[in-house]
Amino acid sequence: MRFFDPHIHMTSRTTDDLEAMSKAGVRAIIEPAFWLGQPRTSVGSFIDYWSSLVGWERFRAAQFGVAHYCAMGLNSKEANDEGLAREVLAELPRFAFKEGVVAIGEIGYDEITKAEEKAYQWQLEFAVQHDMVVMVHSPHRDKKNGIRRSIAVAKECGLSMEKLVVDHNNEETVQDVLDAGAWAAFTIYPHTKMGSERMVEIVRQYGPRRIIVDSSADWGVSDPLSVPKTARLMLERGIDPAAVELTTWQNALDAYGQSGQIDMEALLKTPVVDQRQLYHQNSVLRGQAPRVEETVPND
Amino acid sequence: MSVASRSSRAMEVLRAMLEPRLDARAQEWLALACDECSRLPDRAEVRFPTLISLASRKVPRGALEPSNSAREAARELVPGWNPERWTILDAARAMLVLSRAHLDGPQAVAILDEVFRHADVGELCALHRSLQLLPDNARFAWRAGEGCRSSMGAVYEAAACDTGLPCARFDDLAWRQLVVKALFVGAPVARIHGLDQRLDAELARMVLDLVDERRSAGRGIPPGAWACLGAHGGLRARDSMLRELDRGQAAGRAGAILGLARAGHADLVAGHAAGGESDPLVLAALSSARSARPSQDDYAHLHGL
Repeated sequence: MRFFDPHIHMTSRTTDDLEAMSKAGVRAIIEPAFWLGQPRTSVGSFIDYWSSLVGWERFRAAQFGVAHYCAMGLNSKEANDEGLAREVLAELPRFAFKEGVVAIGEIGYDEITKAEEKAYQWQLEFAVQHDMVVMVHSPHRDKKNGIRRSIAVAKECGLSMEKLVVDHNNEETVQDVLDAGAWAAFTIYPHTKMGSERMVEIVRQYGPRRIIVDSSADWGVSDPLSVPKTARLMLERGIDPAAVELTTWQNALDAYGQSGQIDMEALLKTPVVDQRQLYHQNSVLRGQAPRVEETVPND
Repeated sequence: MSVASRSSRAMEVLRAMLEPRLDARAQEWLALACDECSRLPDRAEVRFPTLISLASRKVPRGALEPSNSAREAARELVPGWNPERWTILDAARAMLVLSRAHLDGPQAVAILDEVFRHADVGELCALHRSLQLLPDNARFAWRAGEGCRSSMGAVYEAAACDTGLPCARFDDLAWRQLVVKALFVGAPVARIHGLDQRLDAELARMVLDLVDERRSAGRGIPPGAWACLGAHGGLRARDSMLRELDRGQAAGRAGAILGLARAGHADLVAGHAAGGESDPLVLAALSSARSARPSQDDYAHLHGL
C-alpha cells in the first residue's frame, strides 16, 4: 500500500526514519512549521527554519523517494511573544507562495490567549485572501473548547470549511469537526493523544469521510510509521480496504491538493530512488555508494 | 554592445524561448509582472521576491527545451550561456530579474541579496542562472560563489555550469574550489564554461590530492578529475593517470587517456593503444586523443558512468 502522512516534522528525524518510511510505503508527507521544543528568540531563526522546509528538508526526503510538502505559519505557543510574533508574521508572505507549500499551518491555540487569537486571525485572513488551505493544531489542554473556538473563528474570518483541517482530534472532538464540514485529522502517538486501536474504532463508528490519519512525529517520543501501522491494524480488524485508503492516502490528498501544489500524476508513478539524480547530488551520503534505481513500494 | 542593450537582447532571447511554452494566461501574467518589476523602487523590498515566488504558481512546470537557433542566439549574446537544461520557470524568473528596475545601479547587490536570502531551491537555481545575463556581473561574484558552495547539486549546477560568469569573474581561490566541488557533488566538469582556459598547477595539486584520498578510501575516481589537470601536475599527474589506466574502470581509463593526451604524453597514449585495449569507451578516447588535443567537451559523455 502507499501512504500519505500529512503531518510529520522531518527536521527532527533521521535518514534511518526516511528509509523506514519509504520502505513502509510512505510516499508523501507534509511538514507543517511548528515550534522547536523551546521558543525562538529572533525572527531570523524562523526565516532559516522556513527556508529549510522548502530547501534542504525537501531535498533530503526526495533522496529517499518521499515527496515533501510543507505548511507555513506561526505556531500558537510562539504567538504569545507578541513583539516577535509581529515580526514573524510580516515575513510569512515571502514563504507562503513557495513551491510545495500546501497550507498555512500549523496554527491555532495553545492556551487560548488573546495573543494567540490575534496571530491565528491574522493568518486565517491571509489564507482567505489567497485561497489557501489551513491546518489547525488543536490544544492539548481544554481541547474540546479550543477546537470549537478554532472552527468558529475560522468561520468568522470567512474560511470555507472544506479548506479547514483540524488536527489532533479524539473521540470527544470528532463530531464537532465533522458537523462543521471541516476535515478531521488524528495524530497517532504512542502513549498520548491517539493510539492505533482507538483510531480503528473511530473509523468504524464515523466512517472514512473527511477523516485523516497522521503521525505528527517530531523530536518527542513518536513514531514516523504511525500511518502504515494504523492502516495495517485497520485491515486486520476488518475495516473496509477502501476506507483504509481514504483515511491514510486519498483524503489528505483531496484536502491539501486544493492548493494546486501536489502533482498527483507524479505521485501515482512508482517512485525510483536515484540518489545521484534527485537534485543531482549525494550530500546525504558520506562516501557510501548511492542507491540507484531501487523502486519504492507504491501499490 | 552596451551592457543595457545586452540585457534587453537577453530579454528578447528569453521571450522567444518562452513563447511556445506559455499559454495566453501565463504570458499575460508574466508581462504584467515584468512591468511591475520595471517600476519597483531603488532598494531591497518584498514585492520583487514575492513575484519571483508567485511565478511557480503561474507558469507551467517542465523543461524549457529551447530550439537550436535559440541556443545559438543565447551563446552568441552571452559567452557561456547555455539554456539547454533550463526549466520554463527558470526562464520566466530570469525575465523578472532582467525587468527589475535599478539592477544597473548601486543598490543592485542589496536588491538581489534580499531575493537570494529567502529563496527556495527552484528560486535559487533560476536566480543563479540569471546572474550571467545582468550588466556588470562582477558585482555578483560573491553570490555566485555561494551557489558553488551549495551541497544541493541542482543549486551547484545552476551556479557553476553552463554559465560564463565564474570563469570571467571568480578569483583563483573561488574558481579552484568550484572545480573541485564539482568532483565532490558529482557534477559534470565538462559543463564548467572556461575550464580549459583556467587550469593551473595549484588546481592540479588539489585534484591529485582528492584522487589520492579517494584511492585510500577504496573509492572510485570521477573520470572528470582527469579533465582538471591539463598540462599541470608533472610526474605526479602522469603517474596518477597511468595508475588509473592500469586499475580503473572503463570510463576512468577513457578519462585518463584523454588526460594524458591533454598533458602532451602522446607516447604513453600510443603505448596504451598498442596494449590490446578492447573497451569501446576507451577505444573512442584513444581515437580522439590521437586525432587532436582533447578538450573538456570530450569528457561530457563520460560523466555519471
